[in-house]
Amino acid sequence: METRSGAASRVVLLLLAPLPLFGGAPDAWIPARWTGGPLEVEYRAKAGNLPPDRDLRETIAGWYDPATLDLLQGSPVNCLLVTWSAGAGDAVESRQWNLVRAYTAAAHRRGIAVLGMVYRGAEPDRFVPPALEIRLDGLVLEGGFTDAVRSAMPGGQASLPVIAISRDPAISRAALAPLAAVEGEWPGSRSLAEMGIRAGPSSQPWICSNIWLVRSFRFTDAWRPVWVGYPPAPAARPNYSRSVADAAVAGGRWIVTLDDGLRIRLRRHDATALAAWTRIGDFLRFAEEHAEWRSFVPYGKLGVITDTAAPDDLASEYLKLLTRRQVPYRLVERSRLGETPFREFRALLAAGLAHLTETERRLLLGFAENGGLVVAGSALGAVPPGQPLLERTLGKGRTILYRDPDPETVARDMPEVLSLEEAGVIAFNVPSVITYASREPGGSRILVQLLNYSDTPARNITIRVSGHYHTARLFTPDSPAAVLAVGPGEGQSEVAIPSLGLWGGVLLEGKTP
Amino acid sequence: MKSTNGKLTRRGWLALCGAGIQAGTMHSLDARQVSQDSPAAAPSAPVAIAKVRSYEEDLAATFRTMFDQIGGLQRRVQGKTVALKVNLTGGNRFDGYTPGETHWVHPRIVAAVVTVLGGLGARRVRVLESAGGRRPGYRLEDKLLEGGWDLEAIRNAAPLVEFEDTNTIGSGKQYSTLKVKTKPYVFPAFCLNHSYEDCDFLISLGKAKNHEEMGVTMAIKNMFGVTPTALYGGRERIFHYGQTQAPSGAPAELDPQSNRYEGWRLPRILVDIIGARPVDLAINDAILSTCGGEGPWVLGAKPIRPGFLVAGWNVVNTDAVTMATMGYNPRAGRQEAPYRLYKGPGNHPPEQLTPAGENFQYADNMMLLAEAAGIGSADLSRIDVRGVPIHKAMFDFEAFWKNQMPKEQG
Repeated sequence: METRSGAASRVVLLLLAPLPLFGGAPDAWIPARWTGGPLEVEYRAKAGNLPPDRDLRETIAGWYDPATLDLLQGSPVNCLLVTWSAGAGDAVESRQWNLVRAYTAAAHRRGIAVLGMVYRGAEPDRFVPPALEIRLDGLVLEGGFTDAVRSAMPGGQASLPVIAISRDPAISRAALAPLAAVEGEWPGSRSLAEMGIRAGPSSQPWICSNIWLVRSFRFTDAWRPVWVGYPPAPAARPNYSRSVADAAVAGGRWIVTLDDGLRIRLRRHDATALAAWTRIGDFLRFAEEHAEWRSFVPYGKLGVITDTAAPDDLASEYLKLLTRRQVPYRLVERSRLGETPFREFRALLAAGLAHLTETERRLLLGFAENGGLVVAGSALGAVPPGQPLLERTLGKGRTILYRDPDPETVARDMPEVLSLEEAGVIAFNVPSVITYASREPGGSRILVQLLNYSDTPARNITIRVSGHYHTARLFTPDSPAAVLAVGPGEGQSEVAIPSLGLWGGVLLEGKTP
Repeated sequence: MKSTNGKLTRRGWLALCGAGIQAGTMHSLDARQVSQDSPAAAPSAPVAIAKVRSYEEDLAATFRTMFDQIGGLQRRVQGKTVALKVNLTGGNRFDGYTPGETHWVHPRIVAAVVTVLGGLGARRVRVLESAGGRRPGYRLEDKLLEGGWDLEAIRNAAPLVEFEDTNTIGSGKQYSTLKVKTKPYVFPAFCLNHSYEDCDFLISLGKAKNHEEMGVTMAIKNMFGVTPTALYGGRERIFHYGQTQAPSGAPAELDPQSNRYEGWRLPRILVDIIGARPVDLAINDAILSTCGGEGPWVLGAKPIRPGFLVAGWNVVNTDAVTMATMGYNPRAGRQEAPYRLYKGPGNHPPEQLTPAGENFQYADNMMLLAEAAGIGSADLSRIDVRGVPIHKAMFDFEAFWKNQMPKEQG
């Protein structure tokens, strides 16, 4: 069981004797889940998810044939997560380690980092020493037992990163470790009718996205890698490129995870499978070619006050739903509210805070009196009986107080109550798209990334940005950069995107002061 | 001769045009009756039909031809301010379609009409609709952009093109109070955005499609959107269900004790609206559309490709011809398709699911009510149809919805 007190140990870099860093430093690792070998077969058999197909089982068992490393030629993937320990019997774990030893040596010769995947039930005292001995580049834990792993490390020896893939993002968020890893979900969209839900006239498809999750780690201007992992695709034809983009939009990395069917077809050099693998590489490369975008900080004139010390469910729900409603926001850590330069914001959302201290109330009301918009629950002020919310002017600004705020209602209302100046960016005609706006730190360039979660291209999108920009360029993985016309307007700029296949970034430059 | 279930077959259409429709089942109604008999007095004017397979075709050329077929538009719009009430609704969409393709009037239709108006010398074209966004600074253009419209194409289609969100007082100083010039059914007058008064010529640009509560929606039903919710509040409460009365300053309904069932009430209010602000030209877009409901949020609704346009001076004549081209009998009664309804129980008040005096949910035929008010004839035998004959353009909505459409027609 993970504890909040152990949060700081989610990623442990035991600084010991220096080792060569294959695949570069951990922040340059582009990971792929590369599980296999006899231990993987046994682990899956125990878990009841071993494929019945004999060929598939043999492909999994024989995955550490060095020939599988040939798949990585020309691919940006430079870090493999191999099956390392699952608390199985000595014989099978030893066989696994011997296989991984040879495979790791071969990978290292190609400059590829190898991390050992450790499943729940594994015993740190057993799996840590051989990991150090064969010079794995790190360990990745499925499940939280970081403290036990750290205890098993002999002091004063090698440095070995330990990365725990956390189910609870709050734990990884709070741990200001150099690399965070978190469980996400398969990205995609479904119409409400498909889900058996009667939609309303303005309903939009339900989008599963991890963009909110990755950006939820961005409390400061500094970037750190965030890995997003989830099990192999449940869909018949998973869109792996979308998974790459879904993590990369906000600066994260998807732990590339291929389904078994694709892996066996790759081993057979099936042309379609090889094309899918190449396309994954193309999208990973696009993300790395635009690594500068990671240095851009989230852009938005709305600050979402988030309590990292509180249970995470509510905060995550707000962040997820605001992202789905295309509301650009930046995170404000509750504990640092007093230090936050409010001049950077036009609106503050504190609806997720059930109680406010007197200091917090004073800060929020002062922000509204000075011309800002504050959206909060009744902790900031009473809502008359029988009314779900109260909107009123306060000084030069206004407040919107919900009697009983719920994330769905508040997120639905936010695009309706924020003016362009208060939102910063508004995207039109994007029902299947999630947008993410970011800004060059210390500069004026704005980047609006768009990711389409439908298999049908998104057409006739308009992006409206507060402020005058002279130029706009659209970058996509599929085409050279295209110059977009910037429409003039009073205090705003508009660009139209005729068609978006999957992923694009609109870079707006040359802001008129 | 009347077809079964209110549907109009090609043979039925021929018989109907030749002999007129004899009265079908009569339903006793309070106030004036919805008569399926054809009164001789209701006005009639030419209506043109065009077959158009795609919005990529030269729509401006098609409209020029249609307008010429009905007698020419130039003398009516030259040097005039023309208001174009476009038909929008919720922004929800079918997979792979934009709202404009299936349940809003298509932006290329709007651009083509504006192009023709500009070419004929219209001084100003105002695109109007009640968009109704709450966002500060929200404009009609924002709603259109949400639907993926190319606004520049429309702005550049005529010398002066303006957009106004008529859900509010807009750029006017006050609401215009327009009296119902025919004998009113429910409301004697309406308060509307000034643009509906400050224009010389009003075009209702509707989408021909089914409707969950009204059975069918076209150019008459499009006019429902002229009522400003900034003044009246939610349209459902005041107009559909009559749960609240008009706000202070707006004309009150004639009889607050009248039938509250929306299938009775709303068709009559629609006739009152077109009696208050008559439509000068009606156009129905059915190149792509929706059957089984007015949009994707109605369970069972689906996209449909009827491939036709209809235009005419008289909104009742135009809707009657459109309805026949959709495969329906324009004189159908409340127990016939498309007026016998199956409304979703989850999104209607319980009393709206069980109309008094009827065994089935229904909507009254708004064209027959308009005909009775003397606005226009819904009798095909009295309407001069030009361009493509109805039977050659007909696309049977009901059959397609029920998956009964022969493949060669679907």
